[in-house]
Amino acid sequence: MAEGSSLLKVSIDFSQSHLFFPNIIHWILLILIVLIALTKGPAFVRSLKDRKDNQTAKKSKTDWMRLLGTIVLTIIYFSLMETVGDFFPNMGLGFLLTSIPFMFLLSILYVHEPGRRELVTITLSSIISPTVAWYVLAQMFNITLP
Amino acid sequence: MEFISYLSPMFFALIGFGVVVGIIFGAIPGMTATMAVAVCLPMTYALDLTNGLALLLGLYVGGISGGLVPAILLNIPGTPSSITTTFDGYPMTQKGEGERALKTGITASLFGGLFSTIVLFLFAPTLADFAIKFSYIEKFLIILFALTVIASLSRNLLLGIFSGVLGVWFSLIGTYDVSFGGNGEYRLMMGWMEEYLESGFSLLPVLIGLFGLGTILQEAEGGIREEIGKGKKLDLNGGAGFSLSVFKGQIINLIRSSSLGTFVGMLPGVGGSAASVLAYTQQKNFSKDPSKLGKGAPEGVIASESSNNGLTGGALIPLLSLGIPGDSTTAVLIGAFTLQGIQLGPLFIGNNLATWDTMMVALLFANIVMFVVMFFAIRYIVKVITIPKYLLYPGIIMMCVVGAYAINFGIMFDVWTLLFFGLFGFLGQKVGLEVAPFIIGFILGKQAEVYFVKSLESFGTLTVFFTKSPIAVVLWILIAISVAFSIYGLIKQKKH
Repeated sequence: MAEGSSLLKVSIDFSQSHLFFPNIIHWILLILIVLIALTKGPAFVRSLKDRKDNQTAKKSKTDWMRLLGTIVLTIIYFSLMETVGDFFPNMGLGFLLTSIPFMFLLSILYVHEPGRRELVTITLSSIISPTVAWYVLAQMFNITLP
Repeated sequence: MEFISYLSPMFFALIGFGVVVGIIFGAIPGMTATMAVAVCLPMTYALDLTNGLALLLGLYVGGISGGLVPAILLNIPGTPSSITTTFDGYPMTQKGEGERALKTGITASLFGGLFSTIVLFLFAPTLADFAIKFSYIEKFLIILFALTVIASLSRNLLLGIFSGVLGVWFSLIGTYDVSFGGNGEYRLMMGWMEEYLESGFSLLPVLIGLFGLGTILQEAEGGIREEIGKGKKLDLNGGAGFSLSVFKGQIINLIRSSSLGTFVGMLPGVGGSAASVLAYTQQKNFSKDPSKLGKGAPEGVIASESSNNGLTGGALIPLLSLGIPGDSTTAVLIGAFTLQGIQLGPLFIGNNLATWDTMMVALLFANIVMFVVMFFAIRYIVKVITIPKYLLYPGIIMMCVVGAYAINFGIMFDVWTLLFFGLFGFLGQKVGLEVAPFIIGFILGKQAEVYFVKSLESFGTLTVFFTKSPIAVVLWILIAISVAFSIYGLIKQKKH
């Protein structure tokens, strides 16, 4: 009994204690990855092979234009926001001035049948919503915006 | 009765506003209650705790309830928890009983919501009183139990556990917090990150990224299809009108489904879809005429909707008594509490009695508002589903930015965190990772570390986790049961 419990004895060096728990987590993650690879691996490789065979069918499922467009537009939007905002410090205008074109372009990217009516609603919505958000949050509630 | 002084007209107005916005989010397929709460969080930055919670609880109740509208009318669940509502709701619509189905669902939702609020009111303080006695060891075991439960109910056991542990890993990034007895050293990152990640990733940008941006990326991948074709009309045909006689003989169904919903809600990380599926299958087992279910039987709608609203109060029980969120929406609510500087845990109710009471009033009122708005304005809400997504989604990304940027008073790094976790959530789900276990792991990871390491430091042996107290033994038994349950599920899955 005494021997058994001494096996379970643990002492933690305080100066290294910040790594103690993360190390355990790393081990658990590693074991899980191995287990997942063992159980899922064969089926995954098979599905990859299948995918190669009917690649065209797979392609039609993913809307690459809208997906990548969203990511690219979002990255540009985030990057420009602060740069523009630096011209007008503490006014939240960086947010307002970048949100309008961002919303407009993203709506144009998403809309399926752009007609005159759609373009008008998109234009109105992409001007009105950021303005309202900016006015309510930055002006009325004093919330920090870029 | 101190709490009455907090109940201003603003308080009720915010609940009403929250419920209506929540219903809209719930009613639009692809948008969920969790998203509603995450996106609207920045509005609470300027409110005090009571009013902020009023808004968020309204959003929660509304968001869960709104899902039944497209489920019944279009056969598309507005939120995952309304999946089983489509089974009988849509056949009813096809028979021309759309309005009857909607009103049956709404009334069942009200019952489920009120039922779970009462259970919450009675049960959470008791559980909290009990949990106050917990030492670090029991607290650690509770978290371990929470994580095993999540894993056992995830779609794939190993990937579910992996997602949870990965969440824990992300939560450890930063310094080992001195205020919890850590040594203040950085870990799990490169030198250049130290400036931004001293206290790790902020919870809210992570949540907003996963549930806001991540969801929109998924939709974008699918091509942002508008579910409602131009020719398709959403007419609520007169047909057989609604009357309370639908509920004749359904009292047991209502109580059973609400109880199941509340119970499932209590289990950490288990969302509404599990609750409604469970309630629906039980109703099928107990029904006098099971063959009717799935062909437009009101009892199916009743089971599904009372259970998913039963979830709301249930999910708040572990949140308010133990600090462990019961589902992903309540995980976002943790963010709102942190924002106000309030630590959730066994001491919360006792130390914040007035807040607790106002929360009860808010839940009660939110359910009533939900019922009134949906019951009498259902025709207008139905129109909401027709708002095109190409207008909605860009606005949601914009609100995500506000939420992330403003949380720490203007740090662009938080916006990039949002983007990172948006992409992470999107790509993670591609390889089978699950958001719910991840987020629970992320929320509980830091505490788990402190409880675990500090217990070991003071006792010096692992055996203490088994021998500390009878409660520890009970918790181990619960952990064993949930592990056994998941292995049983795995074997059953293999057989199929």
